[in-house]
Amino acid sequence: MNRLLSWGGHPPIALAARLYLGWVFLYACWHKIQHPADFALDIATYQILPLSLINIMAIVLPWLELIAGGLLILGFRTRAAALCISGMMVMFTVAIAIAVARGQDMSCGCFASQGVVEDPISYLTVLRDLGWTVLALYVLVFDRRPLGIDGWRLWRKDNAGSPA
Amino acid sequence: MNAARQRWIILRDAVIIACISSAVGIVSNALRSDGIPLIQKTEYQILVPCPETTGEAPPLSPSDPALRDPDTLLIDARPAADFSADHLERSRNVPYDYLMPTDPAVVKDILKSSARRVVVIGDGGDPDPGEHLAKELAGKGIRNVFFVRGGLPAVRAAGGRP
Repeated sequence: MNRLLSWGGHPPIALAARLYLGWVFLYACWHKIQHPADFALDIATYQILPLSLINIMAIVLPWLELIAGGLLILGFRTRAAALCISGMMVMFTVAIAIAVARGQDMSCGCFASQGVVEDPISYLTVLRDLGWTVLALYVLVFDRRPLGIDGWRLWRKDNAGSPA
Repeated sequence: MNAARQRWIILRDAVIIACISSAVGIVSNALRSDGIPLIQKTEYQILVPCPETTGEAPPLSPSDPALRDPDTLLIDARPAADFSADHLERSRNVPYDYLMPTDPAVVKDILKSSARRVVVIGDGGDPDPGEHLAKELAGKGIRNVFFVRGGLPAVRAAGGRP
């Protein structure tokens, strides 16, 4: 396991995963930040959260997506951002799986408030979210020297004590 | 740095990110003109499931001879109370519900009928339940489905059949 964790190929693979996931989250948060009322209605449509938590979720979640997505792209506090994104992905995947299992005809509301005809949820949506969850977990577990600000700080720290 | 300390730092940073995001979200929501209340008081109106009116159903004129044809199955999509007050002879009442799909047993009955065409009559309003029901039935595989433009009031105004 230690050999797998310290393999030198992880940072470039994780960088590709981070850029992709970061872009997905930045894209996903844009509509939600602009239209919080629409996003609140999307959350309510899942019929999972109690009414008292729907609006606070609609207000906070898009900003968490924005900040965590941005940090993932920059490579700053990378694994903490990956932990936030993993948590959100697990939550989204479970919510969509419950809605699909209940047979709810609805849109996932992931990127914009669309109707069920334009963007219906299905088990493919669950599979897509599972894929993104795996990517986030990969970054969390294996990206120990991220290419980005964290990696640069580690490099500076490693070289601070070395002779000129 | 040992693994346990690294895990602790990751968790601590994740909590900080979540707190900062929450603070930014709450403050920006409070500052914007179209912000939403932190706690919703009234239930959201969730319109699911809705019948999908995806089929093609052409309109018929209110004076179309097809309305008199005995091979036409006439369906009245208006509410039962309206149907009781006035309806065309031989018409069958299938009230259209904007929120629920039509009972599959009703669709099966229509499919089993030997009619050459199905004509759906609504109230001619906007939206017209007749048009919606006709499109829903067409989307469920029933062929030769039409709706009457203007609904029952237009048929009456045209001096149509009883």
